[in-house]
Parts: sequence; C-alpha cells; structure tokens
Amino acid sequence: MSQFLQATVYGLLQGGLFALIAVGFSLVWGVMNVINLAHGSFVLVGAYLAFELNRRIGLDPFAAMVPVAAALFAAGYLVQRGLINLVVKAPIFITLLLTFGLNLLLVNGLILIYSGDYRSVTTGYAADGFALMSGVRVPVGRLLAAVVALLLTLALVAVMRRTRTGLAILATGMDRGAARLMGIRARHVYALTFGLAAAMAGAAGAAVSAVGTFNPADAGRFTLFSFVAAVLGGLGNMYGALIGGMVLGLVEAWGGQLLPGTLVNAVAFAVLVAVLAVRPEGIAGRAFYSSRVEV
Amino acid sequence: MMLEIDRLTAGYGRVRVLHEVSLSVDEGEIVALVGPNGAGKSTLLRAVTAMIPDRSGSVRVAGRELIGVAVEDVAAAGVAHVPEGRRLFPGLTVRDNLRLGGWVPRNADLGPVLEIFPRLADRLNQVAGSMSGGEQQMCAIARALMGRPRLLLIDELSLGLAPLVVDEILARLGGIAESGTGVLLVEQDAGAALEVADRGYVLELGRIGLSGTAAELAADPRMRSAYLGGDPPQAPVS
Ligand SMILES: Nc1ncnc2c1ncn2[C@@H]1O[C@H](COP(=O)(O)OP(=O)(O)O)[C@@H](O)[C@H]1O
Ligand SMILES: [Mg+2]
Repeated sequence: MSQFLQATVYGLLQGGLFALIAVGFSLVWGVMNVINLAHGSFVLVGAYLAFELNRRIGLDPFAAMVPVAAALFAAGYLVQRGLINLVVKAPIFITLLLTFGLNLLLVNGLILIYSGDYRSVTTGYAADGFALMSGVRVPVGRLLAAVVALLLTLALVAVMRRTRTGLAILATGMDRGAARLMGIRARHVYALTFGLAAAMAGAAGAAVSAVGTFNPADAGRFTLFSFVAAVLGGLGNMYGALIGGMVLGLVEAWGGQLLPGTLVNAVAFAVLVAVLAVRPEGIAGRAFYSSRVEV
Repeated sequence: MMLEIDRLTAGYGRVRVLHEVSLSVDEGEIVALVGPNGAGKSTLLRAVTAMIPDRSGSVRVAGRELIGVAVEDVAAAGVAHVPEGRRLFPGLTVRDNLRLGGWVPRNADLGPVLEIFPRLADRLNQVAGSMSGGEQQMCAIARALMGRPRLLLIDELSLGLAPLVVDEILARLGGIAESGTGVLLVEQDAGAALEVADRGYVLELGRIGLSGTAAELAADPRMRSAYLGGDPPQAPVS
C-alpha cells in the first residue's frame, strides 16, 4: 500500500512537469494547428542549457529557469518567424515533416555535443526529502519542480485571459483572417505563441535537469507525452493539458510499478486510445480536432 | 471622397471576378451595393480590405491608396469590414470581441457602441457564438465600430435574420453615418438596402450595371423587375 502511495506522490509531482511541457504543445496546436514534433527536444535543450549554466557559473537549476526560458523564447520566436510561418497554412503533413526534421537536428546536435550519456545537475537540496507518512517520501527537488511548473502553467493561463497579447493569441487561433482585419499581426502573434511554448518547455527542461537524469533520447518521450496530454485534455484547452499531464504522470508512475520501463509509453498510448474511444472531446470537454483555443 | 474605387479588377488566382469596377462613397454617406448571388459583391469588399491578394486598379480611402497595403494595415487606414458570415470570435465573450475591434486605436471604451446597440450591454459576458443571429450581427457591427472607422463595409447584413431584426439594425446605420463614417452596405435584399441608402450600385457578373440615388434605383423598372420583385408603383394599365 505504501508503495502505491509513494508511486502516486511521484506521479503527481512528475505530472506537474508533464503539464508544464504539454500546455505549450497544446497551445501551439490549438492556435496554429501545428503539431510540433520538436517540442520534446526544446525540453532537452533547456535541460542542457541549465546543465551548462550550472557547470560554468554554478547557477542553481531552478534559478536557471529564468535565463533558459528567455533563451528558448527568443529561439522559438525566430524559428516560427523564419521557418514555420512559411508553411503554417500548408497541409498539416508539411508542418509535421518540418518539425520532425527540426527535432532530428536538435537531438542529434545534442548527441554530438554531449554524447548520449545520462547527465544530471546536482544540488545540495533536491535529493533531500520529508516523509508524508510512514513509507511515503517527498523529495524536495521534485516538489519544487512540480510547484513551479503548476505556477508557470497557471501564469500562462492568466496571460491568455487577462492581457492584450493573450487576447490576440486566442483571437488569431479562432479566426486568423478576422484577427488580421482587426489589425492584429498574425505572423508576430504566431511567433509569440511558439516562443511562449518553447519558453515553457525550456523552463520545464531546467527543472528536469534538477530532479533526475536525462539524455537527448528523452526528447521523443516528452513529445509523445505532450501529444497524449494535449489530446486527453482537449486540443488547445490549457486546463485540459494540465489535467492531461497530471493523469500521465500518474499512469507512468503506476505503470512503472507493474511493468518494465519501456512498456510505460505503451500504457500512455493505451490511455489515449481508451479516452478517445469513450470521450473523443477529451477529458475537459473539448474536441481534439476542433481548432479552438480556450482557457 | 471617403472611398474611391477606380477600375478595380480582382479575383481568385487566375479567375477574375471583378472587371474594372469603379464606385465611390462620400463622407457620411450610405451606399448600397446590390446584385444577384455570385455577382462579386463580397469579392469587392475583400479586395478593398486586402483579404484577397489578386487585385489591381485603385482603392483610395480618404486619399490613401490601399492597393499594396496588407490586411493588417487596413484597420489603421480607417477601414472596418464586417465580413460575410460575420466572423465573430465565437469562443470569446462579447466584451472581448469588442475589445479586439478596438485593437488598433487601443479603444476600450464600450460606451458609444453600446449606445448604438443597447441589447449588447446585457450580453457583454456572454460567449459571442451562443447569441442569436441578430445579436451576433449587432456584435459584429459594434466590433467594427470599436476601431473608429472612417469607412464601414458591411457584407450581407440581413442574411439569415428575421425582417424585424434587420430593420432594427438598418435603422442604426443612419446614426453611424451621421458621425461622418462612410458606409458601403452589401445586400442581396435590395429593397431593404435602398430604404436606408443615399445611393446605390447594382453589380452584375463583376461589372457595375445600374447606379444612381436610392430613389432613382427604387423607381427604375429594370431594377424593380430583377431585384425588387414587383411592378412599379404607377404601372401603366395595359
Ligand atoms: N474563395 C474563392 N475562391 C474562388 N472563387 C471564389 C471564392 N469566393 C468566391 N468565388 C467566386 O467569385 C464569384 C463571386 O463571389 P462573391 O463575391 O462571393 O459573390 P456575391 O458576394 O456577390 O454573392 C463567384 O463566382 C464565386 O464562385
Ligand atoms: Mg457575398
């Protein structure tokens, strides 16, 4: 029983990180109808940036979230502006191909620089923990990562709801032509959207670097989990992606108790198929194929 | 002139829909553009606001040439377009739709447009897509007005709406024009449009056929037989 509770705690904490990753992926999909297969590699780029900042100047990985997010925002903005905007109105197959290529480029670039070895960033406190009850331990690093991830996710939702820029992003996602008639610069809005998603992924990556080991091949898993969480939550629905991320964290943790490691991905897919069969509109009640964004 | 269109040719790719169309709208004037389905009325409005890129000729708004200007910059040039099908942001509230209409001038003052369409005041927090057709049309026009346009283009105001609602909305156009805004009203329902318009043009197969004051057009026998569906008032006894 305590083993199950321990897995549940881990799952929820890991789910917070998945939520932070998935929410940006879902946003990009909902606003631009782009399924960004390179999203997971942005998480890894964030993790390695945090790793470098720690190695060179001894920066704490959680403090590194700020510069890492800023760097990924800028990079994401430029990638959208210079690359994806060129094909954003093309059939989805084209954008899949483009982001697939981008993913290969980034993952192999990371392997070139860092090899495929597992890395981690050690801090004085992340491995500390406290007992929630007998046999159930909460590691400080993971708790911190989950709390920061949830706060960032909620901050993104607030930006979408309350700011002029957020409103422009939502409007452009709903009707690009009408938004342009209002004077909204769709290309700029798309680039901002992609930059925001990349920044969230990068921040998540910095947190990932602090709570465990990572190597470039993890990119695929993060993309897959983002995809599943986005569909589970209902496409473009940010609260939905949040819930989807938490569910996946739990599924992964529970599955890990019962199944050998790689089968956990299969379980994630099984959950996806099951949800689509029962509730095609997603857990949070929005069709995954309707390209509307809600917060 | 608020809007001066001179020999505008436009279409979709290689298909030409408009052939050297010329028309004008003066400051504070309501001009009706009527004609059968497929004549190119919507295409004309889209060509004015750069929603279609394939266009040549001249489109001037308050003296400024709009050919070559991108869609995003049309609002800043003082043009608001209520497109075919209204194109509200369906998942956003009425308030957010209106705020988006005021995007370019950063106009968040809902007062003036709520005065024109008081019904919207009770609907501000409602999701735009959940309102009735008439309320959505009011919201679409109000959204356009939030940009404080000098030229207002409205496509098929009456489409799908009950006649009473159409009359209610049409009755507001006079007040909008009074403030100096030029209004170009595209309508299939020529009778309703000519009742509120100062002048009108008839577009047929991408060319201007008839034009004149609203009274002239309403009395024109060709107009009556083709679009107004009736005999002229003083039909000669045969
Ligand atoms: N997006 C489009 N692509 C190609 N042809 C179009 C498009 N929209 C309209 N057309 C064609 O242009 C012509 C004029 O259409 P439209 O301007 O919508 O007419 P109206 O608004 O007067 O009913 C029609 O023959 C129509 O088939
Ligand atoms: Mg039309």
